[in-house]
Amino acid sequence: MTGEGIIELVDVRKTFRDFWLRPTVNAVDGLSLSVRRGEVFGLLGPNGSGKSTTIKMILGLLEPSAGKVELFGLSPRSVEARRRLGYLPELSYLHPFLTAKETLGYYAGLCGIPRAESRDRTRQLLDMVGLADVSSRPVGGFSKGMARRVALAASLVGRPELLVLDEPTSGLDPISTKEVKTLVKALAKGGMTILTTSHLLADAEDICDRVMILNHGKSVAEGKVGELGTSLEEFFLAKVGDADSFKLAPFLSQSEATTTRSENEEAARDNRD
Amino acid sequence: MRSVVSVVKATALEVLSEPLTLLVQLAALTMAVLAPAFHYHQFGEATRMARDAGFSALFTCGSIMAVFGTIRAFRREIESGTLQMALSHPVSRGGFFVAKTLGAAVAYLVFAATVLATSLTIIEGARVGGAYAERTGDIARLSGPFLAAGVAVMLLPLVIGAALNRFARFRFVPTAIATALMLALLAGGASSVLDPALLPRHLPVAALLLCPALVLLAASAAFAVRFKANAAAAAVGIVAALCIPAAGNYYMADALSKGGVVPWSYVAIAAIAALPAAVAFLVLGIRFIGGRDVS
Repeated sequence: MTGEGIIELVDVRKTFRDFWLRPTVNAVDGLSLSVRRGEVFGLLGPNGSGKSTTIKMILGLLEPSAGKVELFGLSPRSVEARRRLGYLPELSYLHPFLTAKETLGYYAGLCGIPRAESRDRTRQLLDMVGLADVSSRPVGGFSKGMARRVALAASLVGRPELLVLDEPTSGLDPISTKEVKTLVKALAKGGMTILTTSHLLADAEDICDRVMILNHGKSVAEGKVGELGTSLEEFFLAKVGDADSFKLAPFLSQSEATTTRSENEEAARDNRD
Repeated sequence: MRSVVSVVKATALEVLSEPLTLLVQLAALTMAVLAPAFHYHQFGEATRMARDAGFSALFTCGSIMAVFGTIRAFRREIESGTLQMALSHPVSRGGFFVAKTLGAAVAYLVFAATVLATSLTIIEGARVGGAYAERTGDIARLSGPFLAAGVAVMLLPLVIGAALNRFARFRFVPTAIATALMLALLAGGASSVLDPALLPRHLPVAALLLCPALVLLAASAAFAVRFKANAAAAAVGIVAALCIPAAGNYYMADALSKGGVVPWSYVAIAAIAALPAAVAFLVLGIRFIGGRDVS
């Protein structure tokens, strides 16, 4: 780890607006973070905490409403910055009419990789994700797990320096999940910088060097996994658990009252009979 | 350059593998071969009627093809999320938009080339047939070959579609629907050709022949209405950019039918008509996609 900042966010805000430009939601609110070369950084948080919005601003897909986002010291919109990154979105967005081989060829083309090299790399990656046998089948007919593997291979086709993974194990079975974690660890060992989000805290604990916990678009904690003093899950629940816990009591008391009422009605019917 | 080629290829493949593309193609060829020819012309003016039929089909169905093919290609890219994947790669937004448009244009060119080739074949056939009829005075014997040629031309995309359906990975319109459509068109065409005396009673048949085109037109309007204002503006741009060149094609094909020579003035007219619309469309589109959040 050299300490060089690959991703820099300074006081970043993102407000989504409706058609009439009225603000609808503050998805990210004054977020600052720095991801250094060679580390595996985890962005954790409950649903709607702003993880995906943050990632999309880092990728240049969303324009921040305020603040500064830099990728390799450049604007995320610059082609040069994106030449050095790979992205696996939360859902595997693939063209259903292309085969697995063509899909990787398409993304290799977008990276500007020459045709011959693209063919070799496609073969290697399909072999790596265990889809070499079905490489000529359209991805539209793939299972969710297979599509996930293709998307993962597509994110690696440009041999990126930075890999951004949004819920990488989403839709994968336990065996595939373990394989992805092994792959992420291997890539990190090889010097790749990885930014990942996950709902599975045990997974994040396994692969991340450092994590940031988001809630309502703000950072509520940041630190090295080994220095949290407790398990990541306990730490996470302590930070955001109360704020997002289910309000079960009214619902449970309501259903209890309903049950009691129907029991009383049943008893009254029995008495009448 | 390699990234542009990748996007153009994928987009052309996407548009051409749409079931609607086959339907529009079928409607265009039907219109070119049968629709106006046997209802509004005499055999003495065979080349003119074939030319009119072909080029009106090219213009009408070309509009639909341009609207559907291009809008669906962009819309699917945005809605399915593949745009996110593409724009996270080292490709500029403007470059991606231009490449996507080029891909849709390639698909449109395949369509236009098919209809144009069919029309020119019919024009040549009509010229030869007309000369034969004039020499022998036997017009009735020409109905059969005309009909057979028309049906063969119409069946061609269906056969190609069925073959691709069977042997390639494309999934076109269900063969049963296409066959039913073909039979209805065949019945209408056959009755019109074989019994010109009944033509006034067969106006509903003519309407039926135009139905696929009208349905597609209505559906495209419905799609346009569902879009937000800026997307609707882009749709108008797409129509302008891709249909006005089609009007240019009309002039060029008209010249071809008159003796095989395209005067430079026609080329200039087509270019003058097409370029400003295409440039305006691309500038609007690049501005639209360039400033937009992709989520």
